[in-house]
Amino acid sequence: MRSFYPVVRVFGVLLIGFSLTLLVPLGFSWYWHDGAELAYDEAFALTLLVGLVLYWSARHHDDDLKVRDGFLIVVLVWTLLPLFAGMPLMFQLGISFTDAYFEAMSGLTTTGATVLSNLDALPPSINLWRGMMVWLGGMGLIVLAVAILPLLGIGGRQMFKAETPGPMKDSQLTPRMTQTAKGLWAVYAVVTALCILALHWAGMNWFDAVMHAFTTMGLGGFSSHDASFGYWNSPAIEAVVVVFMLLAGMNFATMFLALSGRSVQPYLSDPEVRWFLGVTLASVLGIAFYLWLQGTYVDFLTALRHAAFNVVSIATTTGFASVDYNQWPFFAPLWMLFLCSFVTSAGSTGGGIKMIRAIILYKQVYRELMRAMHPNIVWPVRVGDNAVPHNILFAVLAFGFMYMTSIVTMTLLLSASGLEIVTAFSAVVASINNTGPGLNQVGPATTFQVLSDFQTWVCTFAMLLGRLEIFTLLVVLTPAFWRR
Amino acid sequence: MKRYYPVVRAFGLLLICFALTLLAPLLLSWWLDDGAHSAYDETFLLTLAVGLLLWWPARHAKTELKVRDGFLLVVLVWTLLPLFACLPLLLHLKISFTDAYFEAVSGLTASGGTVLSGLDAMPLSINFWRTFMHWIGGMGVVVLAVAILPLLGIGGRQMLRAEVPGPMKETSLTPRIAETAKGLWGVYLLLTTACVLALWFFGMEPWDALMHAFSVMGLGGFSTKDASLGHFNSLPIELTVMFFALLSGLNYATHFLALHGRSLKPYRNDPEAPYFLGLLAASILALSCYLLVVGTFEHFGQALRYVAFHSISLATSLGLSTTDYGQWPFFAQLWMLFLGSFIACSGSTGGGIKMIRAMILYKQVYRELIRAMHPSVVWPVRIGSSPVPQNILFAVLAFGFVYMTSIVSMTLLMSLSGLEIVTGFSAVVASINNTGPGLGGVGPSTTYAALDDFQTWICAFAMLLGRLEIFTLLVVLTPAFWRR
Repeated sequence: MRSFYPVVRVFGVLLIGFSLTLLVPLGFSWYWHDGAELAYDEAFALTLLVGLVLYWSARHHDDDLKVRDGFLIVVLVWTLLPLFAGMPLMFQLGISFTDAYFEAMSGLTTTGATVLSNLDALPPSINLWRGMMVWLGGMGLIVLAVAILPLLGIGGRQMFKAETPGPMKDSQLTPRMTQTAKGLWAVYAVVTALCILALHWAGMNWFDAVMHAFTTMGLGGFSSHDASFGYWNSPAIEAVVVVFMLLAGMNFATMFLALSGRSVQPYLSDPEVRWFLGVTLASVLGIAFYLWLQGTYVDFLTALRHAAFNVVSIATTTGFASVDYNQWPFFAPLWMLFLCSFVTSAGSTGGGIKMIRAIILYKQVYRELMRAMHPNIVWPVRVGDNAVPHNILFAVLAFGFMYMTSIVTMTLLLSASGLEIVTAFSAVVASINNTGPGLNQVGPATTFQVLSDFQTWVCTFAMLLGRLEIFTLLVVLTPAFWRR
Repeated sequence: MKRYYPVVRAFGLLLICFALTLLAPLLLSWWLDDGAHSAYDETFLLTLAVGLLLWWPARHAKTELKVRDGFLLVVLVWTLLPLFACLPLLLHLKISFTDAYFEAVSGLTASGGTVLSGLDAMPLSINFWRTFMHWIGGMGVVVLAVAILPLLGIGGRQMLRAEVPGPMKETSLTPRIAETAKGLWGVYLLLTTACVLALWFFGMEPWDALMHAFSVMGLGGFSTKDASLGHFNSLPIELTVMFFALLSGLNYATHFLALHGRSLKPYRNDPEAPYFLGLLAASILALSCYLLVVGTFEHFGQALRYVAFHSISLATSLGLSTTDYGQWPFFAQLWMLFLGSFIACSGSTGGGIKMIRAMILYKQVYRELIRAMHPSVVWPVRIGSSPVPQNILFAVLAFGFVYMTSIVSMTLLMSLSGLEIVTGFSAVVASINNTGPGLGGVGPSTTYAALDDFQTWICAFAMLLGRLEIFTLLVVLTPAFWRR
């Protein structure tokens, strides 16, 4: 037990910090008398108490964290915080533990799949809390993606170590992460503020603007309306959201460099940006054309408008919908689901395997083709100007394989539990990519409520797996991790 | 053009030999007077003429084949032979060129997906030719898998070079392949004879026994009956087919060594055999229980009989059926399709990524988990007792990735062309694994005739891609291959 004390201490501190965020919906609820006050003070008190107990018991162990502790902390944070974050939903809405945990996990992993319906009638503070979970999850995620995973060396993430802002010597874990986090969070907060203003300007009321800015920047996809963005049916709002989704789908470290240097140069030299934008925009045009051709929409501009919003929303793993795209010809939603599995950039709040890995995988395949022709050829895989080292190539390839294997395995599990196959497959893909809505029974017009408890847990696990980039979670689940 | 002469010469010779095989159905047709003989004599003459025409101008180009020529030759053989092989079907059955080519590719790649129905009423010689294509295809596959692909270094096949019978010094291509081929074909012929006799003994008509033995040994799956093996409804016949399908799913090099040394030791040293047999046995037991629990069958014995047959048939990529398993719960069908994608051993006539690659992929993932915990650990991936070299690991990982990407891309294409998703996906998987029947619209009780021309071509391409282990075909399709 002794060796886990530093982990317990850090987790306790995090929990205390997290409990403070519960004060926001609590204060909001008191001020507006929306009838949900009781839900938050209990959750707040409990979270704070557990946090204090954990911290107290380990308060003297402020030794530095080791790499192995890093794995444990990350997994603990993403599995246990939803326990506390789900409490207000459980107390106020009377939903089952499974559903509450799912909803909280969906929020904190910025997935955006929901088991709740009748959102318009929920107490506003509950919707605020749902939005906040996505936003907080996004904060955690940026730091996870830009600072922590590279240190843990997950799936070739070491690659990006050099691009992280902040002091980059191989110093101790904690100060480096703090430094990085501060810079990125500032950027995140600034862009969120801009998003709120833009949404309000485009016609949302302040509450909706804040809530939707939260879920847009976290690329989550919770909405306070059952009809999602169909509620406003406003091209201006959709345009604003599309722009901010695209921003959040790019690396926040690049945004940090661009803002602090006041130049767009970082975006031009980012190897992922051009592919991210190129693939997304080409898909928007292609899908718009396809829908127009198939006669789903009579004029091309309407097709373009709906394709632009929904394709960008799904591709960036946000999950908003402005129309029920499940009614479109099947290829369109299938393509959107396919996009979300790889287009977002590393260091964004998006999900999937990330564009950089897709690029590396493609180049590795091309290299193997070359090697088949010329067995002795030397053909380094390059990203930007750097040759990718062998150990990173291995990590990325293994990651790509595990990602697909996870999808296949969990789809088989859902199918074994009796779920119809398209629903099962799309639920798994939408969960592991942290997108949110899938197809058919879990499509944009419905919710994950139709799933049985077992199926809900599989989806919860998929969201967690995708968010922690698979290996972080798997490492902790191997017996070798606990041996010593 | 001159530089392709060695390839042209070899291909011309192959074509001349192939023309001779057409004499078998021709003589059969004459002898039985089944009314199809005019189809064969025209085909025979045309094939022979083209073969001679190709061989004649290049007859002096006896230079040794280079690795690059090897790629070209393999691709030419598998794409152009079906052109000639399909002529009897085209001429006699008056089906479209697309359908005829599909049927011939399905035959020669030993897949077994068919566009024909009314098989029972067909001239015997046509059915003979269909199954004979399987058998010849199987001969080609064995040599391809054991001798040619390792030399071309496709997807980590080099790995198996050491286990190939025949002179193993790094000599020139042709004598080594010829030597290997002779040994393996001896085994193949021997096992086929045994299979014919066993099927005959257990009650099949002699011709049916011969044709089904062809189909089983090539792991193809064409039958002479619309009801496939269900026509016979005989347990001994099913057991015989299962036994020989299992034999054919094992490495023929292992069979050769075992027969050659008159000992079972080679099987025990074969790293794939225990996993192949173990996984199959476990799947059969589990699926039998599953079908018993969900109430598809009432008795365990009955469940075991049907599950064992279809699991083995689909997993080894044979594709014969005794009942319409399309009526079973979807998970059972999906699981059998899943098994077909990896379980057959390398050097067998089966399809999919092969067990050895699945093992390497699994071990590589485990290595990455360990490396995430201990970044500087030295942890070689071992198969048997020999560590797998790095370039082979890369090749296998890239192969696994391209295999899955191919399935995804072709499924998207199928969906784009308007095919329902379960049918589209399963048709692609069943084709790329060279299994034959898929699910839904291309399930065991239906045929590929339901697909339109475009979709049929995709399936034909998928069968070629799977049979040539993807990279062989992709290499020839890269511009770099033709540059010089």
